Amino acid sequence: MGRAVATYVWAYSQKEQGVSTLSTARERLERRKTGTTWLAKLREPTLKGIARREALTGYLFVAPTLLGILVFSAGPVIASLGLSFFSWNVFSPAQLVGFANYQRLFGDTRVLISFANTLRLVLALVLLELLCALLLAMALEGTRPAWLRYFFRTAFFFPLLMSGAAAAIAWSYMLHKEFGVVNYYLGLLWIPKIPWLASARWALPAIVIVYIWRQAGFYMVLFMGGLSNMPQEVLDAARVDGATGWRRLWHIVLPLLSPTVFFAAIIGVIGALQLFDEPYIMTRGGPGDATRTAVMTMYEAAFKNLELGYGSAIALLLFVLILVVTLTQFWAGERFVFYQ
Amino acid sequence: MAGKRRTALGQVVANWRYRFGRVAITMVLLFLSIVVLFPFIWVLATSLREPAKSFSVPPELIPKDFVWGNYREVFRRIPFWKQMTNSFFVATTVVVGQVITASLAGYAFAHLRFPGKTVLFWVIMATMMIPLQATIIPVFVLITKLGLADHLEALILPSLPTAFGTFLLRQYFLQVPGEFEEAAKIDGASDWTIFSRVYLPLVRTGQAVLAVLVFNGMWNEFFRPLIFLTSKERFTITLGLNDLKGYMETGSISVVLAGIVLATLPVVAIYLAGQRFFVEGIMMGGLKG
Amino acid sequence: MSSQVLSRRGFLRVFGVGIGMTVLAACGGAASQSGASTAAAPGQQPTSVAAATPAGQSAAATTAAPVAETQTPPAASAGKTVLRVQANPDEEKPTEDLFIQQHPDVAFDNLSITGIDHEEVASKILSMVAAGQPIDLGYAATEATQLYAGQGLSLALDDYVKRDADTLKEYFADVHPSLVEAMMYEGSLYQLPFDFNAANMYYNTKVFAEAGFKHPADDWSKDDFYNIAKTLTKKDSSGQATAFGYGWINRLWGSWMPWIFVNGSNLLTEERAPGGAWLWDTFYKDDPAAKGRGGGWRWRKPKANDPANVEALDFMVQLYNEGITPAVELGGGGTLQGFFSSGKLAMTPAGGFWSGGLHNAGMKRGDFDVQLFPKWKNQRHQFGTASLFIFKQSPHKDLAWEYYKVRISKEGMKVHGVFNPVTLTTPTRRSMMTAERFAETGPEHWQVFYDTLDKHPDTAPIPAPPVSNAETTLFTSYTAKAMALEMKPQEALDALQKELEALFARNPKMYPAE
Repeated sequence: MGRAVATYVWAYSQKEQGVSTLSTARERLERRKTGTTWLAKLREPTLKGIARREALTGYLFVAPTLLGILVFSAGPVIASLGLSFFSWNVFSPAQLVGFANYQRLFGDTRVLISFANTLRLVLALVLLELLCALLLAMALEGTRPAWLRYFFRTAFFFPLLMSGAAAAIAWSYMLHKEFGVVNYYLGLLWIPKIPWLASARWALPAIVIVYIWRQAGFYMVLFMGGLSNMPQEVLDAARVDGATGWRRLWHIVLPLLSPTVFFAAIIGVIGALQLFDEPYIMTRGGPGDATRTAVMTMYEAAFKNLELGYGSAIALLLFVLILVVTLTQFWAGERFVFYQ
Repeated sequence: MAGKRRTALGQVVANWRYRFGRVAITMVLLFLSIVVLFPFIWVLATSLREPAKSFSVPPELIPKDFVWGNYREVFRRIPFWKQMTNSFFVATTVVVGQVITASLAGYAFAHLRFPGKTVLFWVIMATMMIPLQATIIPVFVLITKLGLADHLEALILPSLPTAFGTFLLRQYFLQVPGEFEEAAKIDGASDWTIFSRVYLPLVRTGQAVLAVLVFNGMWNEFFRPLIFLTSKERFTITLGLNDLKGYMETGSISVVLAGIVLATLPVVAIYLAGQRFFVEGIMMGGLKG
Repeated sequence: MSSQVLSRRGFLRVFGVGIGMTVLAACGGAASQSGASTAAAPGQQPTSVAAATPAGQSAAATTAAPVAETQTPPAASAGKTVLRVQANPDEEKPTEDLFIQQHPDVAFDNLSITGIDHEEVASKILSMVAAGQPIDLGYAATEATQLYAGQGLSLALDDYVKRDADTLKEYFADVHPSLVEAMMYEGSLYQLPFDFNAANMYYNTKVFAEAGFKHPADDWSKDDFYNIAKTLTKKDSSGQATAFGYGWINRLWGSWMPWIFVNGSNLLTEERAPGGAWLWDTFYKDDPAAKGRGGGWRWRKPKANDPANVEALDFMVQLYNEGITPAVELGGGGTLQGFFSSGKLAMTPAGGFWSGGLHNAGMKRGDFDVQLFPKWKNQRHQFGTASLFIFKQSPHKDLAWEYYKVRISKEGMKVHGVFNPVTLTTPTRRSMMTAERFAETGPEHWQVFYDTLDKHPDTAPIPAPPVSNAETTLFTSYTAKAMALEMKPQEALDALQKELEALFARNPKMYPAE
């Protein structure tokens, strides 16, 4: 039995030109099947038994993750969401306030602005990081000398190795209006000094730049992995057929890449909606509320103003938002993502 | 599909355009990689300088006199090696743990059928949608009740299950065509064999990606170590480096940056060392050899 | 398959590198640890290190220079009472050691607070309290004093102070009453001030000397200041500034608050709570500076858009428009210090904490100096002060109070790491303000720090009611808007006023009703 599996996998991982190895392996297996022994017949499980066994295996496999999550995540999540109906400062007992926190939330301009900022940021961040990553991945795919490709890949991945906080610190210095190096180099291009972190107009772009700088590399590598997974036969067949680069890209590469793009979009959005480190360190949400994100208002409510109930209400609102967006993405994924 | 016919001359021209395009792209990539790497160079250069000179413009990327004192200061101010060890311990343990749990769960969600699968999947996904700061107090209360406060295990245990990793590996498992499983099943292979011999080898990329990301994430974590750990000698390096900022942020920026360089080095080393594996993983994880 | 084997090998290699480095690091750690034990300071028992030293910290040299050795994790301090203190272990240790000499059955567990923000500290403390880990001594600066007192976190120390009045007479005689008043709330004293910082004006002596300026007079005016700032702002040929006359960081303390004060105003209305006579009569009977002081400050209402405040903000914006002040950014003093020490910034408001800070940033004694803040309508300075407080829920209140007394004693303060070897913040004891203290770091006119209190007794703490955190967020938010020229000062302060009023309306119980 092991041999059959080995044959199969070996056949598939061999690069055959044109002739599909699938059919050959399958034929071999068919031939083997006809000669089953009475022992094998005995071992052949019933349909119901198979389903039950599979379900059991399923639960078994999922158990470590599920158990851990229930204990360490689900419990605290439910606790903190439930907290949103209370008013608590940790030192005095919690007081039930029902929906008061939510009423206040919807009238609190600062919170609403922070959510609006967050949504705007997410749009910009995810679109940009995925686009940059895709372009980079495609550009790198075609880069010939392997060592050059290796160098580029390492270079673009590097920013991810710095912690978000460290990156934010370093960039705060570099983006200073008067003495930061960024403005110095822009000055060489005759661009006037931009008040990056001190003006509402430029603070958000500054954060976008820092975030993309850090994250694009990860998605690039993800896409590179996806691109290298392309079944070469299909691409070759298309080229022989005369499809130009653009058509190849649009009709073949992207659909084949869609599971990766899907994953990247989901993760990218969930991450961007919870943006905290960069704006917190670089601008503290300012100037005004220009860079205040949802998680920042939640954090400040809980730990600055000692209003944990209110903070939990904000967290719940954010959670609902993330859930809705993710569900929408999954729904879209049903329609657009192509699995082989 | 009607293809474009090419004359011989047209073909030559196309070749030239292709090559020119290639060179142009490579030039752009080169420029971009310098831009992307620049902050590292700046951080390194500034950490080797007197803080008074940090802001000279034009920036002295190659410092005239190397001030190693900043690095010495880092070692003087914090128990550097101990904290490094802590970070390593936490990061590697979690990586191994997560690769295991995520592979199992990801496979189950991708290819096994069991009642309540969708619900369970969304329960797990949902935990990714709550920011860390919102649940930190209940989690800390739990940690304390388990007696893990101020221990590195407090960082490790809750991180062994992973919603992100499960989701990631599920995607990779989904991309493996179903024919494999059919063939193996026909032959009476047990579920475990199908999993470990057929599917698992094909998702090496996913595991590699997860490993690198998780290592990175655990290494650079700040908030949970802040809340869970109290004694300096139990701190992870990222947390420990904060001490360099000094009272009311009067610490020297060169020292802070030196700390950042020192903390980033091991991650870089691991990444470079694991590159080979990474490359293999990417190449191997797919359907072409 | 070959490729599978390779990947497994690759994985092991990565793992191996990780293990290898871990082992290496552990070896390195062990080496320095054994080195530390042999370098045991005299008076410490080399055996049972965990028992003798507080919280398992290995023996350090007797000089106060904080040496961070690899330490054994805190072993069970069997049979000892453990005091949990929110303080930086390295800095607090000398004072704790002093205490342990008198109380050998006490061990300390320190919660480090360096380099992290108020909110991060709060999140840590809240988590610990929620998890049932009581802390004995917490740390609070002016910004948090009334918050903790009002929320029932901190213990009123009146009974302890009255009981030990004889021992404390000397302390109060050494500390200016304005500092003490800042730590009172509704008639009770919650903290005994340990360190403070008033916003004085620091200037770069080299830059001054080059332009021919001397040390400003004690009562130099706003116009004098303006002229100096303007002259010291240098621009290059294209009109871009290469050096700035005056700069500041956007926050509650410092920033442009000093200008509000010297213009005779405040962000919030000021009142004195009744009471406090028990303290003033006992300890400051003959001190004229204590006249009229009450039971703590009450900042009842916002008056953000008071004309004097608008005038002050106008002035700040004017300085920015004229290129004298660089773009104002948020955060700590990190960047500002860099500019100041590299001669790109001539003047900035800062307190005693910069004497050590600038020294650490590489400035030498004589490179910088300090003077009182310039006079406008008056010369009323603003300060912030800080100290420990005893948690109401502490299970060791009496013991905590004993440590408290040691900490504010002359000896205790002298050896504390925050005043040794460099002065990282201004001590509240007048007797500790000596030329010797600032001999190594400067500034030359160190007397200014305490003169601010002695010569200008109307100097007051920054306005920090129980909602000071939310107040700070709003204040910095609108300050930033005005300084980025997105709102006119009047507009910004009007909007700030509205929001502050809403904030205060949501918190009616900060002070007893009028």
